[in-house]
Amino acid sequence: MTFMPERAAFSVQPAARGALLRELALLAAGLLLLALVIRVHWMADFAVFFILVLSFDLLYGYMGHLSFGHMLYFGAGAYGAALWLVYGNASAWAALAVGLAAAAGMAALLGGVVLRTRGASFALINMAFNEIGHFLVQSPLAAYTLGEDGLSCTADPLFGAISLYEDRWAFAFCGAVLLAVYALLRLLTRSPFGLLVRSIRENESRVRFLGYDTFRFKWIAFVIASTIAALAGGLFTLVQGFVSPRVISPFGNVDVIFAVLIGGAGSLAGALIGAAAFLAIKNFLPVIIPELSRLLDVKLPQWELWLGVVLLLIVFSLRGGIVGTVQARLRNRKPAGEAQ
Amino acid sequence: MAELLATAALTKRFNGLTAVNEVDFRVSEGETAGVIGPNGSGKTTLFNLLSGFFPPSSGEIRFDAASITRLPPHRRVALGIARTFQLVSVFSTLSVWENAVLAVLRFQPGGIRPGPFFFRSARRAPVLERCAEALARVGLTGKAALPVAGLSYGDKRMLEIGITLALRPRLLLLDEPLAGLSDHEIARVVELIRSLRGQFTVVIIEHKISKILELVERLSVMNEGRLICEGAPGEVLADPRVRACYWGKEAPAC
Repeated sequence: MTFMPERAAFSVQPAARGALLRELALLAAGLLLLALVIRVHWMADFAVFFILVLSFDLLYGYMGHLSFGHMLYFGAGAYGAALWLVYGNASAWAALAVGLAAAAGMAALLGGVVLRTRGASFALINMAFNEIGHFLVQSPLAAYTLGEDGLSCTADPLFGAISLYEDRWAFAFCGAVLLAVYALLRLLTRSPFGLLVRSIRENESRVRFLGYDTFRFKWIAFVIASTIAALAGGLFTLVQGFVSPRVISPFGNVDVIFAVLIGGAGSLAGALIGAAAFLAIKNFLPVIIPELSRLLDVKLPQWELWLGVVLLLIVFSLRGGIVGTVQARLRNRKPAGEAQ
Repeated sequence: MAELLATAALTKRFNGLTAVNEVDFRVSEGETAGVIGPNGSGKTTLFNLLSGFFPPSSGEIRFDAASITRLPPHRRVALGIARTFQLVSVFSTLSVWENAVLAVLRFQPGGIRPGPFFFRSARRAPVLERCAEALARVGLTGKAALPVAGLSYGDKRMLEIGITLALRPRLLLLDEPLAGLSDHEIARVVELIRSLRGQFTVVIIEHKISKILELVERLSVMNEGRLICEGAPGEVLADPRVRACYWGKEAPAC
């Protein structure tokens, strides 16, 4: 006879297969709704950002490793794909594969170095590598990357018919990749591997005394997170047809960290909700603030200041982000009613 | 009895302080041994050396006749050395059951070691059985679903010993397993340790000497980093050197 604990105890047991399908359907519906509300033109970019934030959540939210250099891998994916399109051939698939391989290789190598550190050192050593990458595409490799001018590239339509330069197709393709990435991360984080990654976040030393070579598992998680970031970068290249050193600048990492913090680190839903909230703030505040200024006839500060205010509010009043706060409220309500 | 673990002139220095000084410590297969000594006498440092928390400054550690002096902790666990911590160390953001899963999966054939992703391994019947067994042994079956953060300190201690036993150690190192517990909880943990006699080789560090006297077959006393006396508990406590080092601090055999 086998003993089965209640499902609540057991996040490593994948819930009924239906649950994942329901979540994917919900995510797809959310994306379609968003596409109706705002212009489809933006949706591919949004999906790319969602994928990037999900990849960061694996590293930071689940494993507790805050990096300031995640854009290195986004940039490697973007530049890898662009360089292939310019100097190789026009196959979008090959370009994506080159971007992924380049980033995965870099993550595999650099992971061996950066994962020897933790905390602030980990964040900063990643940023240092990111700065090196940024510098390399700006000047030493400018013969190939054209430096600050950026690189224009064109990919053939997928399957000979689907042009990623059409907004709808770009949205459909990036959205489909987003759903696939979500499914992959869902499976991964609910597996024993995910359990191990979460226990490393809480107390890595203790995990070693349970007999695990934690370095190995951190390295695997780092390479996966970096490769997914590169997938986002490759999609960016395919959709935009243009890359510049901006895509590999460590500055972009700030957006990703904000998104994860707003939504709630350590939850895939939190990462997605945070990314959506961040995009809403970033895209609509610059429109709303001047309107409000005109309406109220006062000169309001620029939108970046209001982003700062929102972040302060979240840090001080919504610990654990939107999702973390909602979960904590629900949890607090239940035991009160159920207490013996 | 066959010798399971032996140290030779084991020494650990921290910036001028010699925490463990030329210690020759032996453990035989199947015995239950105790290590006592005043605060700061080097007991926990000795455990940290044995379990691989840090390397020694000099000296050697042999386990099963092979040198393990420089092995990292996870390799020592693989050989069969498992420990608990003075301050209970379990994963409080996980559920009780998940803590057990983490310990059990490590040595499951076809489990975590060969393939990194092992999506299904946590649901295999042998894993479920061993997790249930690990929790039943420490009386936590009914609390499997609870988050560890909400457990009492005594339950956390039981869980820690339970998941450590789930590693199926050949040598179990318990670092002050009774520290911080209420009398009622102490009785539970003592009962658990007694039930391990004969099944596991156990070394216990403890301050509450009276509570472990009847549990251990052999007692070693440390003072100022040195192993000053070893032998049957009764003899050791009667030894004048031991009485001297405890004098004015706490009465040994009360």
